[in-house]
Amino acid sequence: MSDTPAPDHASRLFRRTLLRVMAVQVATLLLLWLLQTRYSG
Amino acid sequence: MRALDWGIIAVYLAYVLVDGVRRAKGTREIEGYFLAHRSLPWWAVGLSVMATQLSAITLIGTTGQGATDGMRFVQFYFGLPLAMVILGVTLVPFLHGARVFTAYEYLERRFDARTRSLTSFLFLVARGMSCGTIIAAPAVVFSAIFGWNLLWSVGLIGIPTVIYTMIGGVQAVTWVDVKQIALIVFALIAVLVTLLVQLPVAPDHALALAGAAGRLRAFDFSFDVTNDFTFWSGLIGGTFLMLSYFGTDQSQVQRYITAKSVDQARSSLLISAYWKIPLQALVLLIGVLVFVFFLFQRPPLLFNPAQEQAVRAAEPAAYGLLDERYRAALDARATAARAAPSAASLEAFRAREADVSAARDEALGLASRVTGKTARDVNFIMPWFVLHYLPVGLAGIFVAAVLAATMSAVAGELNSLATVTVIDFYRRWVRPEATDAHYLLVSKAATGVWGLFACGVATFAATLGSLIVVVNRFGSFFYGSILGVFLLAMIPRARATGAFVGLIAGMAAVGAVNFGAPSVSWLWHNVIGAVTVVAVGLVLSARRIAPR
Repeated sequence: MSDTPAPDHASRLFRRTLLRVMAVQVATLLLLWLLQTRYSG
Repeated sequence: MRALDWGIIAVYLAYVLVDGVRRAKGTREIEGYFLAHRSLPWWAVGLSVMATQLSAITLIGTTGQGATDGMRFVQFYFGLPLAMVILGVTLVPFLHGARVFTAYEYLERRFDARTRSLTSFLFLVARGMSCGTIIAAPAVVFSAIFGWNLLWSVGLIGIPTVIYTMIGGVQAVTWVDVKQIALIVFALIAVLVTLLVQLPVAPDHALALAGAAGRLRAFDFSFDVTNDFTFWSGLIGGTFLMLSYFGTDQSQVQRYITAKSVDQARSSLLISAYWKIPLQALVLLIGVLVFVFFLFQRPPLLFNPAQEQAVRAAEPAAYGLLDERYRAALDARATAARAAPSAASLEAFRAREADVSAARDEALGLASRVTGKTARDVNFIMPWFVLHYLPVGLAGIFVAAVLAATMSAVAGELNSLATVTVIDFYRRWVRPEATDAHYLLVSKAATGVWGLFACGVATFAATLGSLIVVVNRFGSFFYGSILGVFLLAMIPRARATGAFVGLIAGMAAVGAVNFGAPSVSWLWHNVIGAVTVVAVGLVLSARRIAPR
C-alpha cells in the first residue's frame, strides 16, 4: 500500500479539496436559494 | 418522430456498437478486461462514473418529477460532494493500493472469506435485479408511446449494451460512457435552450409562475424522518448513502480502480463532487420549465397513452366529462398565467392551477380503478413534450440520449456483475487455478448471462410495477451495513467475527426499522445500518481480544 498518503498529507489534501468542492456547492445552493426566496413568495 | 429522428437513433446505436467492440483490441487478460490494466486517465474515469449514475430515470423520471413536484428532489444529492471528498482520503487509497479486482476481495484480506462472500452475494442479487429495472423504466415508456412490443423495447436497449460490454470489457464501458455523457449533456442543454425560446413569456415571468405553483422550493429544513427529501435527510442520510454507493458498490469502485494512480482515482471522483448537484439542478429545472411550457399549451389529461386508452374504453362517459372540465380549467389557467406577475394575478393563477391539479388527480384515480394498478404518469411527461414540441432532429437526439443514459448505467453494472461473479466466486471457490484465457472466456460468458438475466427481469419488472419498489427497498436493507463493514476494515482493532456478526446485525436493525417503523424514510436506513455494524463489530472485537 505504498500509494497510501501520509496522514499529514492526507489531511491537508482533504481540507484543500473540501474547501474547493464546497465553494462550488455553496455557489450552486446560493443560486437555488435565491430562486426560492425571489419567486416562491 | 420523423425519419431524421429515427436516422439519428440508428446512427447512434451503430456507433456505440462499433466503438465499444473496437475497444476489445488488446484485451487478452482479465486484468485488461476488468481493470484496463489500471491505465485509464482520471477524466475518462470520472465521466464514466457520472455516466453510470445517470439512467433513463434521470432524463425522463427526474424531469417529470421537476414538472410535478418542483426542485426539492435536489436535496437528495446534498451529501454527495462531502462523501466524495471523504472517500478520496479514506477508501480510495485502500482499495486502489490493495491492487484488488473487487472491493469485496479486500474484505477477505482484512477479515475472512465469509464476509467477502456474503457482501459480494448481496451485491450480485441487488445489482442483478436493479440492472433489470434500469432497462424496464425506458422500455415501458417506449412501448407505451411508440406502441412497440415490450420485448422489442427491452431488446433494443439490452442487446447492443450486452454485446459491446461482453466483447470490450471495461475499456469499452468507459470510453463509450465518455461519449454517452457528452450526448446526454448536449441533449439537456439543447432542450433547455428550446424551452426558453418557445416559452411565450419572459424567463422572469416563467420563474414567477413556477414559484407561485411551488415548483422552485429547493430547500425544506424541517427535521422530519418520514420525509424523503429534506435538507437534513439529504445531507446526513445522503452522505451515508453516497459513501455506501461510491465506496462499496462494485459498479462504482470498479470505475475508479481502473485509474492510473490513487491521485487520478481521487480526481475522477471529484468530477462528480463538483458537477452532480449542478447537473441534477439543471435536470429538475428543465422539468420545471416543461411545467411552465404546458401552462400555455393543452397537455393531455393522462400522459400515458396506454392508460388513457384503457380509461376511455372502460369509462367513456366519466372520462369525457372529466376531460371537458380539465380543458376548461386549462384555458382558465392559461389566461391567468398570461397576466403580468403581481400578487393578485399570481393568487388567481394558483387557484386555477389547483383546479387543473384536481382534475388530473381524479383522472389518475380513475385510471387506477380501471387498470387495477396505482396510476402515475410522471415518467411520460417529458417524452410527451419531446415527441410533440421538440424540433425535428432534436427529438431523435433526446431519445438517443435516453438510450445512452440507460446503456451507460447497464454496461457499468454488467461489467461489475461479471467481475464479482468471476473473481469472488468462480476463481475463489470453483476454479482457483486456470489460465488467463480461461478466465477471460468465463468473464465474457458471465457478462452475457447477466445481460440475459437483466433483460428477463426488465420484462417482468415492467408488468409488475411494485417489483421496482421491492428491489429498491431490498438494496437499502444492506447498503449501509456493507459500508459499516468497510468502515470497520479501516479500524485496526476490528476483527473478522465482529465484522461478520456486525454485518448481519446491521441488516437486522434496518429490517426491524423498515417493518417496525415503515414511515421512516429509507435514506435513514443507511445511517442505521452503518452505525449498527460499527458498534456491534467493535464491541465483539473488544470482547474477543480482552484478556481473561
